[in-house]
Amino acid sequence: MSKIKGFCCNYTMSVDVDALKEGGLVPEGLEIDRLACTGRLEVPEILDAFTNGADAVFVVGCQMDKCHNLSGSYRASKRVRYAKKILKELDMDPELLEMFFADRGHSEPIVEAARLMASKTQGNSQDRDQ
Amino acid sequence: MVEAGRSPNIEIITNARLEALEGKPGQFLAKVHQAPRFINEDLCTACGMCTMYCPRPVVDTYNERLDITRAPHIDYAQAIPSSYYIDAKACLRVNYDTCNLCAQTCTAGAIDFSQKPKKLELNVGAVVLAPGFGKVDDEVLEKFGYGKYPDVLTSFEFERLTCASGPTEGHIVRPSDNKPPKKIAFLQCIGSRDETCGNGYCSSVCCMYAIKEASVAKEHEPDLEISIFFMDVRTMGKGFDEARKRAQEKYGINVIRARVPRVDQVDGKLALTWTTPDGEHHSGIFDMVVLSVGLESPEDAEIISKVADIELNHYDFCKTSVDSPLATTRDGVLVAGAFQGPKDIPESVTQASGAAAIASELLSDARNTETITVTFPEENVELEREEPRIGVFVCHCGVNIAGVVDVKAVRDYAGTLPGVVLYEDTLYSCSQDALKSIAEKIKENRLNRVVISACSPRTHEPLFQETLRSIGLNPALVEMANIRDQCAWVHAQEPEAATEKAKDLVRMAVAKARLLEPLDQPTVDVTPSALVLGGGAAGMASALSIADQGFKVVLVEKSKELGGNLKRLTWTLDGQDARKVLKDMVKKIKAHKNIEVLTEAKLESISGYVGNFTSTISRKGKTDMVNHGVMIIATGGREYKPKGYAYGDSPRVLTQLELEEKLSKGKSFLKNARNVVMIQCVGSRGEDMSHCSRLCCTQAVKNALKLKEVKPDLNIFVFYRDMRTYGFYEDLYREARKKGIHFIRYTPEKRPEVIKQARGIKVRAFDPILGDDLEIPASLVVLSTGIAPGENEELSKVVKAPLTSDGFFLEAHAKLRPVEVAVDGVYLCGLAHGPKSLEESIAQAKAAAAKAAIPLAKGKVAVAPIVSRVNQDACIGCGICESLCPFNAIRLEKAGKRKKAQTITASCKGCGICASHCPTLAISMGGFTDEAIMAQIHAFSPEGCKEE
Repeated sequence: MSKIKGFCCNYTMSVDVDALKEGGLVPEGLEIDRLACTGRLEVPEILDAFTNGADAVFVVGCQMDKCHNLSGSYRASKRVRYAKKILKELDMDPELLEMFFADRGHSEPIVEAARLMASKTQGNSQDRDQ
Repeated sequence: MVEAGRSPNIEIITNARLEALEGKPGQFLAKVHQAPRFINEDLCTACGMCTMYCPRPVVDTYNERLDITRAPHIDYAQAIPSSYYIDAKACLRVNYDTCNLCAQTCTAGAIDFSQKPKKLELNVGAVVLAPGFGKVDDEVLEKFGYGKYPDVLTSFEFERLTCASGPTEGHIVRPSDNKPPKKIAFLQCIGSRDETCGNGYCSSVCCMYAIKEASVAKEHEPDLEISIFFMDVRTMGKGFDEARKRAQEKYGINVIRARVPRVDQVDGKLALTWTTPDGEHHSGIFDMVVLSVGLESPEDAEIISKVADIELNHYDFCKTSVDSPLATTRDGVLVAGAFQGPKDIPESVTQASGAAAIASELLSDARNTETITVTFPEENVELEREEPRIGVFVCHCGVNIAGVVDVKAVRDYAGTLPGVVLYEDTLYSCSQDALKSIAEKIKENRLNRVVISACSPRTHEPLFQETLRSIGLNPALVEMANIRDQCAWVHAQEPEAATEKAKDLVRMAVAKARLLEPLDQPTVDVTPSALVLGGGAAGMASALSIADQGFKVVLVEKSKELGGNLKRLTWTLDGQDARKVLKDMVKKIKAHKNIEVLTEAKLESISGYVGNFTSTISRKGKTDMVNHGVMIIATGGREYKPKGYAYGDSPRVLTQLELEEKLSKGKSFLKNARNVVMIQCVGSRGEDMSHCSRLCCTQAVKNALKLKEVKPDLNIFVFYRDMRTYGFYEDLYREARKKGIHFIRYTPEKRPEVIKQARGIKVRAFDPILGDDLEIPASLVVLSTGIAPGENEELSKVVKAPLTSDGFFLEAHAKLRPVEVAVDGVYLCGLAHGPKSLEESIAQAKAAAAKAAIPLAKGKVAVAPIVSRVNQDACIGCGICESLCPFNAIRLEKAGKRKKAQTITASCKGCGICASHCPTLAISMGGFTDEAIMAQIHAFSPEGCKEE
């Protein structure tokens, strides 16, 4: 079972992750940190998630133009881009880290993001073979 | 509804709207616009051919847009008038002058496209407005994903899904994938108790209907998981609390106290998040979400108000007042049902009867001037006595029967049966012209027994009975064989076997018909006066109404003066002076020439039956006999006297009524008061009495507001379980919250305690929001003590009227006959029936008066012909029948030396309990004699028929 770590902002994530797991909607290995704002997320925290055993990491913030804190999700996306670069330098697949955007209170994009990331961890070995 | 459809004195005008109302009470001129149905009601036989052939699909609005029907259709099978109509917006013939297919297929020739809109001018004496309720705007529902996510339904849609005749035949499936859901959430208070959509009131009915729908769903799918999200559980109707508890225990329905803010869809499933009162956040995934939508004012409320010239309240419902809840602001224009305020079926039916009473008061001078009585020719007794000459009519019912059963074969078979002289088939035996031809053929062939082999006697027997009466035959001489519902419909796949079964059914019906006997249709004269027990608000209101309708009333009151509980009320819930209401009523009663008041009097015994009661009334040591035709029980209830809570130990502990009394005398007692604590449900809802007393929540809020008004710096704490300020009373509750009155919920496990101290008292209670105990030093503790039943037990034995487990009188049928008791001629209103507010008591009193006035106005009571008859030679006087009769309609009387059973035909309902229990078979039922039933059973085998 692959371990997926997600960082969501307070406004995008409304449904409890345990309830989603109970409903069989998200991978079992998903863990979500709910932040006051994804703009608060620092690059070391993203990298720490990998260090702590995550196979893939994703960040979900507000839609860029509708961010509750105006530029929070813009900052987050910039840091994700930077972290991806570092992953590349470390010889890791930068695809294992992604930024997503969701409408306020809509849980569907988060679930989709978690699934997409899970499929990436599973499909990675196959991709390389091809 | 069928009854209304069949009454010769009710004209039903459908597709119509009121355009103007001129004149004054007694002389209104109502201008009505009627849009065409395009189908002639008198000719339509409701066969359904037009729907079948119509090429134009339309959305079925009756099924809440969940199904599709065609332009010509009937909303549902039992609709009255039982005629189809054409949706003019969709019809190709109406709009484009093409098609015309339905008109060609209609074998009854009922479709008539030449119909034009009609302008009707009706001369009426009184007007009753009953437009019902409207729908909550879709905009409000969109917040909860309605319209966006397919599996978010309204409760009305869900109701159709659970209905066996609904679009899914009662299977609960998700609209998105047609699969049965496993987890369903009900969200309460959608479009009610919600100021953001302008509906600040409580819709009163949604809590109960959600529980009902959840129970029905669980019954259908026991594995369903159902959660209901409430703010307060408002099941305050009679017996509702018990039903809710039963549902929660039996079906394991999950009751969650939270208001869900929105619905989110995740991968086709619905995600909800909520916060419980302890501050915890929760989420859950559900397969279906049902929005318990409230009752709005009707869409055309404003138009109605303009046309009828009546005022609306601030929520666009009809404006009424507590002391005359059924009168609009215009004289002679009355209101009933949800237009007066959100309410459930029993209350709507009650109000409808009440409105009828007021109309009858207004029009009592004109009684019987416009009514139509149906007269029938003398019975041809000689013909009835002759050997049975049986006629069998086999109905095609369009293709309903003939499509499966070989009708002609059944007809010819009927001809071979003994005693049958005429056998024919008809296309629709229930159509007007067919009835006419049946009548002629009966006459021509001198038939004296008739077998109609068609559909159900439940719906159609009265029609054929009337046909027989119209040609001088006793209506009991017709027998029906149901070869449609019980044969053609259920065996649609096996036409041959169905034809054989139809023959069996006809044979059995003929065997029974041979033994049918004419039955008497006796009528009994009615003593035109009423006895009203109880001189409280309900008793006085019903006495006044009956007296205004022109009949004598004897009003019996046990205490020294009239008034009952109303005497102790200081002001009504809408702020009127309760004592003025009382004074006005007493004045009217005393001045009324039709009312005789007996104070300090008591009913000792009653004998007789509807129309002819004789009661013994004791008064100041003397006894009097009173003859009366009907009786109303309005004996009221009493304030529950609390046990515990230091009541009686401390002068600082009062009941709500005691507080009102004090308040009415002045505010000096509040001089040093700082904190006032109110405790709800003292004695009610499982503490001592199991029922909810319905009005204490509103009463507490009313008194709390009054205290705040008198002394604004007072701290008021109200400990409650569910605030049941239903309907427009929700406004008071909201106002109380706004004024800073503290409302703190408690659970029955942790009731607030009143502790007496050396100086003063304090209240200790658990606050679920703080999660800790509170101690409030109280200057005053007010107990909301609820309503206990009066001395009903004794009266129930005298009258033989049953009580509920809570000790209130039981009505004959909660929805259809809410003010009648099982004994004919005895009616019920006020607190004797159950806890209710003054407004509701008065409406119910009017309803009881309306019902009671029916036999009085008719002057005669017709006795149902199907009654039990005792063969006195065979009767051994064992008395089993007397003890079993639920209607008090059979009793032992001296006949010669021994006691023998005797039926009181006027009270008998023909249920047959006595006949089935009689050890010597001395009792037989009219129309269902043992011989006839045995013959019918024997005829099940073809040999059995020949032996006879």
